[in-house]
Order: sequence, then C-alpha cells, then structure tokens
Amino acid sequence: MRNEDRERAIVEITGRLVDAKMEAAKQGGVPIIEVINDTIYHEQQRLRTDRSSPTYDDDKSFWRKIQRALPRASEREIKQMLHRCVDHFIREIAGNFNPYVYQASVQLVPVGLGFLLNAVSPFRLLRQLPHLPSINDHMMLTGRIESLRKLDSKGTIVFVPTHSSNMDSPVIGWSIYAMGLPPATYGAGLNLFTNPLLSFFMHNLGAYRVDRRKTAPLYKDILKEYATVSMEYGYNNLFFPGGTRSRSNMLERKLKKGLMGTGLRAYINNLRNKKSQPRVFFVPCTINYQLVLEAETLIDDFLKESGKSRYIIEDDESSDIRKIYNFVSSLATMDSQIRLVVGQALDPFGNHVDDEGESYDRRGRRIEIERYVMRDGEPVEDAQRDHEYTNELAESIGKEFARDNMIMVTHLVARAAFSLLKQKNPDMDLYRLLHTGGDIELLTHKELMAEIEDLQTQLQTLEQRDELKIEPSIKEQNAEHLAERALKLFHSYHSAPALTRRGDRYISEDMRLLYFYQNRLHGYPIQSKAAHARAA
Amino acid sequence: MSEQVAVIGGGSWGCALAHVIGSNGFPVTLYVRRAEQADEIRIHHTNQRYLKDYPLSHNITPTIRLQDAAPCGIIVMVVPSKGFRETAREMGDFLKPDQILLSATKGIEPGTHLRMSEILKAETACLKVGAISGPNLALEVMAGHPTATIVASRYNEVVAAGMQILNSTTFRAYGSQDIVGVELAGALKNVMALAAGIVTGIGYGANTRSFLISRGLSELIRMGNHYNVDPMTLSGLAGVGDLIVTCNSEQSRNFQVGKRLGQGESLNDILGSMQQVAEGIRTTQSAYELAKAFREPFPIIEIMYKLLYQGMSVQEAKLLLLGRPMHYEHEPERVVPKRETPKSLPSA
Repeated sequence: MRNEDRERAIVEITGRLVDAKMEAAKQGGVPIIEVINDTIYHEQQRLRTDRSSPTYDDDKSFWRKIQRALPRASEREIKQMLHRCVDHFIREIAGNFNPYVYQASVQLVPVGLGFLLNAVSPFRLLRQLPHLPSINDHMMLTGRIESLRKLDSKGTIVFVPTHSSNMDSPVIGWSIYAMGLPPATYGAGLNLFTNPLLSFFMHNLGAYRVDRRKTAPLYKDILKEYATVSMEYGYNNLFFPGGTRSRSNMLERKLKKGLMGTGLRAYINNLRNKKSQPRVFFVPCTINYQLVLEAETLIDDFLKESGKSRYIIEDDESSDIRKIYNFVSSLATMDSQIRLVVGQALDPFGNHVDDEGESYDRRGRRIEIERYVMRDGEPVEDAQRDHEYTNELAESIGKEFARDNMIMVTHLVARAAFSLLKQKNPDMDLYRLLHTGGDIELLTHKELMAEIEDLQTQLQTLEQRDELKIEPSIKEQNAEHLAERALKLFHSYHSAPALTRRGDRYISEDMRLLYFYQNRLHGYPIQSKAAHARAA
Repeated sequence: MSEQVAVIGGGSWGCALAHVIGSNGFPVTLYVRRAEQADEIRIHHTNQRYLKDYPLSHNITPTIRLQDAAPCGIIVMVVPSKGFRETAREMGDFLKPDQILLSATKGIEPGTHLRMSEILKAETACLKVGAISGPNLALEVMAGHPTATIVASRYNEVVAAGMQILNSTTFRAYGSQDIVGVELAGALKNVMALAAGIVTGIGYGANTRSFLISRGLSELIRMGNHYNVDPMTLSGLAGVGDLIVTCNSEQSRNFQVGKRLGQGESLNDILGSMQQVAEGIRTTQSAYELAKAFREPFPIIEIMYKLLYQGMSVQEAKLLLLGRPMHYEHEPERVVPKRETPKSLPSA
C-alpha cells in the first residue's frame, strides 16, 4: 500500500473493527473486555514459545500493561484499549510501499531467482551463484493473460494461485510484473521478513506481514479487514487459497475461505460507497514445477503427520543455501521448467467473468451480480449468506485449478512407475509400500514404457475434454524420451532420485518422492493400463 | 403485501403445494402446461385429473406462460425430473440472482448424478436454492390430514422463506441445512418404494415389507456416507418419514408400479396405463450408476436395476436378493461363511 494510503487505511481499519466489536457487544455478543482478555491470553500463550521474535520485548511489555490496566478501566478506557490493541497489530501488519523501490525489486527478480526465498541473504546467494539463470528462461507464462490485462482496468483483481513451494511468491510476483500489471498486495509469513534486507524488498513488493503464530481472533479479523480495505482502495490482492503449501503435492481441493470472503465484503462496501469500479475479480492461477524445491521436507511432513501437517515449516530446503544452490543449478543445467497458467476470472460468487468484467451464468447469460447482495434495493451484508456465496466461489476456484493444472513430465513418469509398483504389491497398504518400496521393487523397461504410453493417451484425452493441461513435450515426445527426461530431472537435484535406471530395469530410490510427484495427478479419472484393459 | 410465489408444474404435488401456499395467504402463480387445466383451475378451482374434487385455494392464478411465473420472489419447481433441466434452462432466461428457487422434485439425473437443486444452479444465475421433501402424499395433504415437510438449503434465508410460505396448522415445516441428505433420501426412497410394492404384489406381508424398508434404509445410509450426509437427516422426515409412507401407501405411484410388477404385469403395460410419473424408475438408473462408481454392494438398488432395465424376472430377483452371503447387519463386508451341513449326527 502506498504510504499516503497506509495511514488512511490504518485509521479506517481501526475505526471499523472497534465499531464492529462495540456493536456486536451491544447486540449481546462478546463483551469488549472479553475480546481484550482473549487477545491477551492468546498473545501470552504465543510469547511463551516465541522468544526469538524480534518484537518479543515490546510485545511482552505492551500486553502486560494492558493486562494490568484492564481490571480498573472504565467503559471509555476499555474502548480506548481495544483501539490500542488493534493499532498495535495493524502497525506491524501494514508495511511501507515505495513505487521506486518496487521497480528496482522486480527488476532484480529475473536476475536472482532464489533471492526472495526464506531466510537467505540475497547477496550471499548472488555471490555463490555467479552464473545465476534468468527466470525468463525457465518460466512459461500461459493462459488468459490478455483478458487479465483488460480486466485490470475494470475493477480490483485478486490472484488466487495454487501453492506448492516457497518459490511461488517470487514466481507469481515476477509473473505479475511481466504481464505489466501493478503489484499485488499479499500477506506473507513473518519468516519472510526476518532478514532486514529481504524484509525491505518484501514490503516493497506489496507484501504485508502475517504472523501465523498470532492466533488471537482479533488479529485474524484485522488481517481480513486489511485485505478488504486494500481492495476497496483499488489495490490488487494475492492470497494462496490453500492456506499453506500442499504437503502431498496434490492439487488443493479444500480451500480456506476466510480471506476469500474479503473480496465479497469489499464489493459490497464499494456498492454502498457507489464506487465507479466496484467489481472484484478472482483470478485462479496454477503453478507447476518439474522439480519442487522443498519436495522432500513437504512429503515427509505429510507422511509423518498422516496429513495433519505442521502449519509452518522453518527448517526446509528453502532455508538451506546448499539446497537452493543445487536447485537453481539444476534449473539451469537441466533447463527445468516452471509453468504458470492464468485461469478464467471469476466474480465473488464463482461466476465466469469476461474481459469487460461482466459476469455470465453457465448458459452464457449476463448476470446483474449486484442483485445477489441487494435487499430492499440496498446492498447489505449477511454473514451466513455471504459465507455460502464464498463457498460457491471456492468450489469454482477448485474446478478452475483442476482444469488449469499443468501436468509435467515428472508427474507423468512418477505416476506410471508408482501405479505399476502398486499393482506388483497388491497386498501392501500405502504406508508399507512407501516405507519398504515393495516386495517387488523393479520395473522392466517394457512395462514402464507401455504404462507411460497409456497415460499419455489418457492425459491427452483429458486435455481435449478441457479437464486438465499437459506440458507440450507430453504430446510431442515418445515414452522413451519422456522417461529419459524425467529420470535426468530426478537425478539432477534430490538427494536420492525418485526413479532411476539399472540396466533394463527401473527402481525407486525414494518412494516418498515418487509418490509426491505422482500426486499431482490425484483426483483425475485416470486408470492404470491393467485396470484399463480389465474395464475394456 | 405478501410475497408472490410461483409454482412450476401442475401435477398432483405441484397443485397441492400451490394450495398449501395459497391457503397461507400468499398469492401463487401456478404454471401448468395445458390451457384446459389452467381454465379449470381459474374457473372451478379444481384439478380433477390429479386431485379429484378437492377445492384449490382462490389465491392461485394459473398460467401457461413460464415468463408470468418468473418475476416471483420465490419459485417452487415441481416438474418431473426428466424435464427438470429443460424447464430450469427455460426459466433461466427470466430469472434474476436475488430470487429463491426451491425444488420439490425428487430425483437424481442419470449420467451427471446431479440433484435437482444442483441442476437449478447449473441452469440459472440463482444460487439461493433449496429443496422440499417429506412424507407428503398429495391427496392426504389436500384432505388436510396433518403432516410435515423439510425445507433444506445451505442458505438460512432460503430455509426461512420456504418455511414461512409452507407452514400451517396441518402442514408443519421444519428446516435443515443438509440439502444433500434431504435430496438424496427423497430420491432414493422411490427405488425402495418400487421394491416394497413388488413384495406386496407378490403377496408377502408386513414382515417382508419391514425387512425391505430396513435394508433399504441401510443402503440409503451407505450411499449418504459417500456424500458426508448427516445420518440424522436420514432418520428424520425426509428419510425414514418418507420411506415409511411411500413403501406402505397405495397412493404412492412408485409403490403402485412395484405392486403391479409383483402381480406379474409388464413394465411397459404399467407405464402405458399411468397418468403420472413414477420417479423411482429413472432414479433406479442413477442409483445403480452411483453404486457402480462407489464399488460397494447396494443389493436392492442393483436388483431393482436388473429388474427394470435388464429383464430380470421377479422370481429371479427374489432368489438373488435372499441368496446373498450372510453378513453382519451393518457390516456388509463382514461375511460369515456358510456352515457345512453335517453328513451324520455325531455319535453319542
């Protein structure tokens, strides 16, 4: 947010939240004193374990003061305290934005692909990588780019990308810049701000700070209000609707609706304030990598916790300089690719939007969307209704994700091998298979090629039916070439390859990785060749 | 002024619902296909063909133009599931996003496996959709016998609106957010009604019908599990409530079709002689497709499909159903092997 808007936004957000809480208390909801007490409790719980926080001392003394003063406070003073609590949080969240620094920052991105990654000094990285590859050579940007450019002048855009790596932030940041669009405001984890230099860049790339350790409901309300107000001020936004990186590498099917609902609130407020461009457009984007930087840590986390993943991983590959070096080197030498597909724009109710910003139903009839939120001729909020509207949006985003998910060669080959290993070890459950690699762990060249060919055909059919996307090489190359390329990629970066060749046989040296890469095809109507033959 | 309500469909249930709503003081626009039927309702306030001499509410205004019904705030769809999509698509040309749509049609579309409320969302710009379902035989409702129904929607606003137009001292309306459970139960119970009719037609008594209803409910619950349906919904009005009435009443069309099948008539003959649609026949196809997709045994659904679509005889169906392996009641996968009959008694 530009500095001139920042102060205005802070005042606006604080005012709105305090008024909303006061009104809720008046209507028999949670009394203000309880809101503050609850916030103190959550913050004190956090501070017990979060001693390394750079604001530890300040936070501790701030909450202690509030706690001491609260029991003796008059009603007026309690309201003022709430004001202070909100102000305390919001000043940490909101950053400075300098358009000149933004220009400089995005120009640096192509030079240093990994420089924005967590806890890494960009200078240190740059020194180690004198021949750093340019992002331009590895990023393939496709989809509805022209539509997006046109839409930018019709309302506020909210980018909602898939999330599978810490690389996603620079990837989408660069893509937005490359498409000639203004920077998008987004909530980035506090860990991305710990390095002062990086923090400076993050702020200036439009990011605001989100501390996931802060669990107080008041803090979450402020984050949502910040996103809402920034949209009302016309700033494009960016959320990862999956909430966190996909641990399994499966495409996000369950989406977090909290932040997504802010688009609808901004739209309703814009209608109320009779803004000339009240509309908010959600643009799903899929990001796919041939190799995922943090694959090993992510899949380990997924398997260890049986899906109940840790919310924040601090010690993954993206904080390991050697790993990043290997990753970026493999990008360069292997010509590994990252693909971002700009999807169909949607309105806050999940309907398709055309280049002019108009919404259409599934039969192509134009919709007067303001009528979704009108009651007696006035735009009104209705928490339950709006929650359901956001569910409709989430459902539509999920469908667009599935349709625009671009299957890469590594996904295809991993799927073929994994599916064969499952067939060869029919009595093993998934966890045993992943742990042991199977009683029968070798695949013949012939059977793997046949499985890849069969999958190629199935994937092409699905692409023709507009159910997914596949990278061009899957259409252009034969099974031999695809297997060779995937194996080279698997060898180029990970500590043990997901699949390797021994003479005429293939074996997985890391079943977890094989599973991780094949998971990108999870949920599509794809069968193994044997199942296919049985069905026929 | 009361909210204007439209009812789309002039069959027995459409007219009965229009009557319930009209009797509650709401002006109702009733869309019917045939001009003579519209004239009869306008002039005589009756619908002889489906509802005998029962007088209809004077608040009902019939029309044969779909667009006359379109401006109403609440629209209740009561057309057969076969023509549901087409009618919804036609309506979609006139509807606006703030309108509330309620489906009182019970069915699942073959091929797509969409519920009727999902078709409403697919064919119109409306999102505020809901469903009405329960133990509601049209003639008993017209006679004023007390009963109850469920109005289900994910939108509280829709539930409230539906309950307000329907609830009366003889027709009690309850609300639910579990629209999937309500619609699924409403559709699948018609398959069970066909089966219950068959065993009645064969001449079996209450034991057999009760056996069939209970096992039918078990299939409903297992199907519901695949959709995360609340089991309480299935034990409520839209589930057990509707199952009891439809599997026992001569007024149920599906029960009637089943009964005549059990008595040896052919399906073609039965359908040729009927004025109204038995939804269970079409739903059996969808339910069978779902059973295949879920790769789980749904014996009644599977046997009903073979009987209706693959020419299996009633006798063969009976043998197939009763000759299945023994298993625990709620664990079909827990099969108990058949004990071998001892060749001779153990010596003393």
